[in-house]
Amino acid sequence: MAKSTEQLYAERLKRYVTAMRNEKPDMIPIRPFVAEFTAKYAGYTCQEVTHDYEKAFAAARKCAADFDWDAVVGNMVYVWSGLTEAIGLKYYGVPGISIPPDTGFQYLEPPQEKAFMKPDEYDQLIEDPTGYLFNVWLPRVSADVTEIGKPATYRNNLSFLKGGMAMMQYFNAFPKQNELLKSETGTVSAIAGILKAPFDILADKLRGYLGLCADLYERPDKVLAACEALMPHLTYVALAGADPDKNVPIGYWMHRGCVPFVSHEHFNTFQWPTLKPIIEEIWANGHQVLFYAEGNWDAHLDSFAELPDRSIVYHVDQGDMSTVHKKVGEKFCISGGIPNWLLATGKPQEVRDCCKQVIDIAGRGGGYIMDASAIVQNDGDIENMRAMTEFTREYGVY
Amino acid sequence: MELREMEKKKQTKRKPGVAIPWEEKAKELGEIPGDKQLVQKIWEDVDTLAYIYVWQCLVSF
Repeated sequence: MAKSTEQLYAERLKRYVTAMRNEKPDMIPIRPFVAEFTAKYAGYTCQEVTHDYEKAFAAARKCAADFDWDAVVGNMVYVWSGLTEAIGLKYYGVPGISIPPDTGFQYLEPPQEKAFMKPDEYDQLIEDPTGYLFNVWLPRVSADVTEIGKPATYRNNLSFLKGGMAMMQYFNAFPKQNELLKSETGTVSAIAGILKAPFDILADKLRGYLGLCADLYERPDKVLAACEALMPHLTYVALAGADPDKNVPIGYWMHRGCVPFVSHEHFNTFQWPTLKPIIEEIWANGHQVLFYAEGNWDAHLDSFAELPDRSIVYHVDQGDMSTVHKKVGEKFCISGGIPNWLLATGKPQEVRDCCKQVIDIAGRGGGYIMDASAIVQNDGDIENMRAMTEFTREYGVY
Repeated sequence: MELREMEKKKQTKRKPGVAIPWEEKAKELGEIPGDKQLVQKIWEDVDTLAYIYVWQCLVSF
């Protein structure tokens, strides 16, 4: 007798949560982070899913209906460009506007001399991060927001009005999307809330990577103080969006705060001491954090192992799965490890072989979630995604 | 939202969740003949929306 979607949802939720608590569920959960892949599958362009979130939602639900996945993100296309265009954000290459319609959106980091935060502005940021963002950062990153002290313009006023209302409209659309995923296909919404490390925020959105690298040598005390000033705010934002039921984790998007982008000393002095307390605070509030370790963070596994047991789910991109499992597998659930290049260019049997290898390393004892190494864009091959799914269902039963 | 120890240690001019502090608004209002706690609660609830807006611009967009 076919299961109802309610039964399916309950099974999938239990499976997913059990694995995340580093225990052994009935089978290995499948939780692909699929972004522009959903557009390819559903017949949309990158422009369509980036600019129209209802199409992105529909594409995600179509994938959830056709693939036997336990959990997906309601919309994994990271930026809704409808909002970024409404407020005039300068740092995106938007598909269909500044880049071809079938290319995923791009982040445009300014040259070092045009960094959004100047090197002599650390004290402003440290004293009042919120004030700095409104008064200095937003006018610099937006084509419409005027500088403080200059006359307000029609476009300035509309930027705040449209931005605020659009953001509210977009965020308020997610509960309905999550409910549709649950009711239509019995699919769990994989994450809730967002976190980025203070050190990464400084590099990505404020000083730029090159600017921050210079600051690490020219004004290290300011860098540390700035990271410390950002800590409570980034923690607050993460908790504000977290799952009220405390089932699914907060997504922590890890970027360039690791070797070789910075040195071991920099990681140990700036990145880790201003990140670890955030994770501990979030765990003290009852929420796990998904360490989405894009790239290779193997150099820092010993640091991550300092965190409380089960406080994080550790996602593997280019790290070595054996090393990760050996160092943190006893403490944390692990996800990922199926290379995106393989899912894009390999053959289905090669994908199956890789899944078997990863499951044999990390999944035999429970505490493993099947996923690609990194967010799957429109180069992901449909048959390979099917092979990953079907093989995990065959081989991943406990 | 209480951030326990972290907030106590890492104090900034405007604490998390705050764009315009209630204390600043209260000075403008002066004596409140009605329910002061109600005025404060709603001020702070709406003010947090502005806070979330700019921090979500930074983190999510």
